[in-house]
Amino acid sequence: MSEPSPADRRIGVYVCSCGGNISDYVDVPQVIERVRDEPGVVVARRAMFTCSDATQQEIIADIRQQRLDGLVVASCSPKLHTETFRAVARRAGLNPYQYTQVNIREQCSWAHTDDHDGATGKAIGLVRAGIARTARTRPLEPITVETVPRALVIGGGITGLRAALALADLGLGVFLVEREATLGGWVGGFGAMFPHDRDGRTLIAGLVDRVRAREEITVFTGAEVVSRSGSFGNYRAGIRVSGTGTGIGANGGPDPKTAESITVEVGAVLVATGFDTYEPGEGELGYGQGGVLTLPQFKTLVDATDGPLTHQGRPVRTIAYIYCVGSRQPHGTPGANEHCSRFCCTATVHTALRVSARDASVRQYHLYRDMRSYGKYELLFDASRRAGSRYLKVVDDQPPEVAAQDGPAGGLTVTAHDALAGGEELALPVDLVVLVTGAVPRANEELTGVLKIPVGTDRFYNEIHPKLRPVETVVDGVTIAGACQGPKTSIEAVTSGLAAVAQSAAILKRGHAELDPLVAVVDPLACGWCDRCQDSCPYGAIGRAKRGESEVAVIDETVCKGCGGCVPVCPRDAIDLHGYTDTQITSMIDGLAEAVA
Amino acid sequence: MRYDALVIGSGIGGMESALKLADMGYQVLVVEKEASVGGKMILLSKVFPTLDCASCISTPKMAATVHHPNITVLTHAEVTGIRRDGADRFQARILAKPRFVDTAACTGCRQCEMSCTVAVPDQFNADMVARRAAYIAFPQAVPKKAIIERAGTSPCTGECPAGIKAHGYVALVRAGRPEQAFNLVLEATPLVGSLGRACYAPCEGTCTRGELEGSVPIRRLKRFVADAHYATGQPPSVPVAESTGRRVAVVGSGPAGLTAAWQLALRGHQVKVFESAPRPGGMLRLGIPAYRLPNAVVDDDIANLTALGVEIATNTRIDNLAALRAGGFDAVLLAAGTHAPGRLRVPGEDLPGAVSALAFLRSAKLGRATTAAVAAPADVVAGTAPDGQTTMTDGVDVCGQRVAVIGGGNVAIDTARTALRLGAAEVHLVSLESREQMPAHDWEVTEALAEGIVAHPGWGVRRCRGAERVTGVALRRCTAVLDATGRFAPQFDDTDTIDLPCEVVIAAVGMAADTADFAASLPTNRNGTIAVDPGTLQTRLGYVFAAGDVVTGPSMITEAVGQGRRAAFMIDRWLSGHELDPVAFDDRLPVVDRQAVLSRQADHSRRGPLPPPAVPGHAPDDFAELEPPIAPQEVRSATARCLDCGVCSECHECVSACPADAIDLGMRAEEIDAEIGTVVLSTGFRLFAADAKPQYGYGRFANVITGMQMDRLLAPTRPYHTVLRPSDGKVPDRIAYVLCTGSRDQTVGNPLCSKICCMYSIKQNQLIMGTLPLADVAVHYIDVRTVGKGYDEFFEQAKGMGAEFVKGRVAHIDETDEGNLVLTYEDIDHGGGLATAEYDLVVLAVGVQPNPEVAALFGGLDLGLDEHYYVEEVNEDLDPGRTTIPGVYVAGAASGARDIPESILHAGAAVTQAAAHLERQRQPQRSAQQERTRVPA
Repeated sequence: MSEPSPADRRIGVYVCSCGGNISDYVDVPQVIERVRDEPGVVVARRAMFTCSDATQQEIIADIRQQRLDGLVVASCSPKLHTETFRAVARRAGLNPYQYTQVNIREQCSWAHTDDHDGATGKAIGLVRAGIARTARTRPLEPITVETVPRALVIGGGITGLRAALALADLGLGVFLVEREATLGGWVGGFGAMFPHDRDGRTLIAGLVDRVRAREEITVFTGAEVVSRSGSFGNYRAGIRVSGTGTGIGANGGPDPKTAESITVEVGAVLVATGFDTYEPGEGELGYGQGGVLTLPQFKTLVDATDGPLTHQGRPVRTIAYIYCVGSRQPHGTPGANEHCSRFCCTATVHTALRVSARDASVRQYHLYRDMRSYGKYELLFDASRRAGSRYLKVVDDQPPEVAAQDGPAGGLTVTAHDALAGGEELALPVDLVVLVTGAVPRANEELTGVLKIPVGTDRFYNEIHPKLRPVETVVDGVTIAGACQGPKTSIEAVTSGLAAVAQSAAILKRGHAELDPLVAVVDPLACGWCDRCQDSCPYGAIGRAKRGESEVAVIDETVCKGCGGCVPVCPRDAIDLHGYTDTQITSMIDGLAEAVA
Repeated sequence: MRYDALVIGSGIGGMESALKLADMGYQVLVVEKEASVGGKMILLSKVFPTLDCASCISTPKMAATVHHPNITVLTHAEVTGIRRDGADRFQARILAKPRFVDTAACTGCRQCEMSCTVAVPDQFNADMVARRAAYIAFPQAVPKKAIIERAGTSPCTGECPAGIKAHGYVALVRAGRPEQAFNLVLEATPLVGSLGRACYAPCEGTCTRGELEGSVPIRRLKRFVADAHYATGQPPSVPVAESTGRRVAVVGSGPAGLTAAWQLALRGHQVKVFESAPRPGGMLRLGIPAYRLPNAVVDDDIANLTALGVEIATNTRIDNLAALRAGGFDAVLLAAGTHAPGRLRVPGEDLPGAVSALAFLRSAKLGRATTAAVAAPADVVAGTAPDGQTTMTDGVDVCGQRVAVIGGGNVAIDTARTALRLGAAEVHLVSLESREQMPAHDWEVTEALAEGIVAHPGWGVRRCRGAERVTGVALRRCTAVLDATGRFAPQFDDTDTIDLPCEVVIAAVGMAADTADFAASLPTNRNGTIAVDPGTLQTRLGYVFAAGDVVTGPSMITEAVGQGRRAAFMIDRWLSGHELDPVAFDDRLPVVDRQAVLSRQADHSRRGPLPPPAVPGHAPDDFAELEPPIAPQEVRSATARCLDCGVCSECHECVSACPADAIDLGMRAEEIDAEIGTVVLSTGFRLFAADAKPQYGYGRFANVITGMQMDRLLAPTRPYHTVLRPSDGKVPDRIAYVLCTGSRDQTVGNPLCSKICCMYSIKQNQLIMGTLPLADVAVHYIDVRTVGKGYDEFFEQAKGMGAEFVKGRVAHIDETDEGNLVLTYEDIDHGGGLATAEYDLVVLAVGVQPNPEVAALFGGLDLGLDEHYYVEEVNEDLDPGRTTIPGVYVAGAASGARDIPESILHAGAAVTQAAAHLERQRQPQRSAQQERTRVPA
């Protein structure tokens, strides 16, 4: 059966007002007026919120009653609603790949708030292009892959450990890979933590015992993930176990003790590689001098001793905490950490409370910018003030300075302007200066390269969308959790780790996954194998195979992401892209050009 | 019903929980108390820090939730109790609240909303605009189905013995639809005009507005709609059922009989009314004087009935029910009233010149009717067409005579005033009771005295003096009317007597049913009333029903109307072979609590005191109607004063408007039991009530609004389509934010930081600067807490756009005459002194509060709350979302302030553990093995 010509198609076009987000700038009725007689269009309607359930129901009714074979929704970014309207098509019995999302919000109304006519004209062009593409769609079926009911967890801190247990609780196998020789991460080195005063080392010890007791979990320490191949649902990950590493093999799995480098097959990857703390530069706020410590160093000092606090043999009677060291750095400085590190205010307040509890007479000055003891942590801030901590708000353009005191007694002087005291300059003689250092992204270039996870402007790993897909990355099946994504408290890290488990388990428990069929295909009759396409593929999806006498390119459709990079490099035009064929792209350009003209 | 998981609440945390569990393959039941899923998030403008439109993020999740094959959603439903079922499962009881709309039939077309006559504050627009009682929650609602808000029956409607939808017709008049109001009363009775004049209006006595400056004049509004309709001369437009071929005889044409005949005729039965008097109407015609109820009005009311083809045979006394039956009537309604006069039982009461009030009033009314042309009501009021009068009443001529009326009830008053109008020289009113205890309504006594009637309270008649005619009455002091048990047993002091000379004595001392003719075939009570089943009004003779005063004894018109309706309902069921179910007759919801109505809003705009009722002039000499019609401006102010106590007024406009026939006001709540494997609590949070911080003036100063209200002003579905300030609609130039309103504040009992307010305020700053590029925005803060991913960058961006951040707490806010607001605050940036600044609009960044009611759901189980009444997480460090009850998890802000991304992640954490709980149920053996201890290598 031959395909219907574009003019014989039955396409429904829906133009969204998005409340007023679109219709305040784009003349929606005019858009409909100008596209409703395009070849193949049989329904053209407007809606206040096309994504609302009521309009979805209307579209479904139209598809069924009008026997539509193509659907165009002109609304917002495809990032938001491609899946929404594919689902609408599916529910109505229309092949979801005969749907085109046209973005007239981000690309028209929001981009051209000062030019209503221009925004409207552009919208007409984009909708025409969408119609032209839709008129040349063919039904496509998703690529179904069986998923391996196992997950790879990278990082053996509190997030990775808890996530591994949660995966096992749901009946999934786990490979847990930790770069260090021991499990536990940051929390494994902490004493009492806010807000519940639970001892970090004890928490980790309990988790590690439970992890080691689970036969579903295989732990590799002193190990790193060095390669990843395969695709969503069927990844093969190469793990290199260093000489110092130990591992526990289970159930006939690989025995890491005898293997320097092993490969595991997993359906999903959960990345929980954590963070580093900011390391102040030499001389930054006196760092490097005796008596100037970072927050982690100070916590170690507090954790390590009982009784009166001493540092380098000298009693500590007065402490100054300088907040936001390495965080909230001014915009524009190269490599600046503009982010707030979230946990350091409360961690410092909590540590100060522990100091006061040991010796109420220790004087503690907090030189802060904004006290960010958010939510219930406000109670700790209140308690620390009642326990005697003094809080000085420093003004952003007058940062504190740290200098060694003259004279044999040693000690330090912190100079600061306190906004709460009318901006008065104060010189505080102190025994110890604690630089409240925040979180910075961990240097993980090798792993990032292996997994191909994007990083954000803050250089932490980036999720697809903080609300729609908060633990997913653009790499299918690879989730991120914990502080590798951005500064988090221990509890928040565990929370995101468990959320990532929910995301992974939804796929792995089903036993199969569906991939978009919008992939590149090679016409073997045209291909003359020249390797240019293989070189162009960032995903390693293209290989070569013998076909009769000659060699041709073959594309692994489970690996191909449909980026289209291979299509234009082929000297023989032997590659086309499902969903965005050359014919479709040409017709879209024609549609746009017609509107412009 | 059996489900793996119950998710309570369908905000972002609940939807996320349900979707994740369903994606894992579990069967999920979602229970949402509002009419739509979506929670608070769908109501927001945009969401930080990405500035995505909240609708765009929410709507796909909402649609996905309701359409997921593994999810069942119950909206407008509440979980009322959860108890343990075995070791680790639960039984949940869910109350599916009535929507009063058949959701399967409803198409979401909003016709009901457009026709609805009641406006209430729109909670989905933070109360800034009104919505209707019939409504669709908001444009993106899922399911997009109408719902009718009914708090209960309004007191006026609930009080009406006739079951007339008083609130309904008041609302219809307010909406400018008097004809529909007329038709609404016709649903109950054809006697619209008569009730509009002569009803004693118990509705007004219970009107909630009476707690303020005075009740709504409900009766006079009914008269207004009757007058308006009758002025058109059109027959009633009511739907009449197809003919059933059954015939019903109604004996008596008073309010009960006429109402029953009307109701039966509407139901398609052929009805014939038999009346012994020359004119139909019963007491309306024979008992109530024309100055209260002109005959023309009774005629108009009865014309409604005859327009339906009901026959009325006057001058026809029925004394044989069996003959009626034999004559082809399938059922008979006996509604003969109480026309046997009570007697004084004193010597001389049968002398010429002594008559009963019933006989006196009857001849006065009939005489007038036969001699006077029917006057248009307006003319009567104008006094240009005085009633034709007759002074001869039943052989007693009161003209120029001294008249003594015996009795203290309403009939006595009517009699006395009638006598005055017929030209009596003096009218004396003798009652056993004191002035205060007289059964007559106080206002009637007052009016009678104003007309010149002389009251003699506290006297009883000893005898009527006279030989051939009455020459006077001998009175003795009455010392007590009732005995200790409250029964009528008058005591007299015979040492205290006087004589009242008079030529006419009229006894208005009660009336009784005249049922001697039927006593042989029907059981009667001692006082002569017919014995019936009080619920069904059926007599022992199956085909005979009885209603009205002949059953109840003398009563009010509305009670007789109510009896007539009930009898017709039962006769119809009897004729069609249905069970006679008394409960089925009255479909009213419980009456709303009036105090609850008053407390719905903190402040009621009290209108000025109502004008006192007009007191008639002295010694009227005609029967012109006393009460003037209600003036048009009073109609408007009166109907506007209605508080819409029950919310829905039951005006039935939506019922007529709905093209899908989906409205069902008879719908009632249903209880659903479900067996559940695990529970996820995602009940969210409440916003701090800003009026609890009185120094900021919320609720007093129109231009002090909350953050939620500003979010609505900025939303794509915003109520005013731009950012305006509420007092005068001015576009604000200077806008201030007060952070930490109700948070970090021991004075309101909330020491916690609410976590979300800094960011939503900064988001709004950016949106305002986009919408109103010229506006200045200042944020008064303690600390700016922008701690999430990209949040501090978002804060810097707002500063870069021009938002000013002012460090220091706001002490109080004052209002200027122009409605501007003066903030007094601590100015830390400039030395820490007190400073003031004036703004056009102030936004209070209200914080979050817990929803502790959730703990009450778990009867025998102890759901732990933390010291701030959030749901406690027992092992937050490792198992965030786990509660004190194994198998019960908490997701989102129910356990502490969380923003949207945090709630989503928290939901993920909760359901991961909920899923593990379900897995343990499925494979108990495996789970036992799972935790077995292994010796480390």
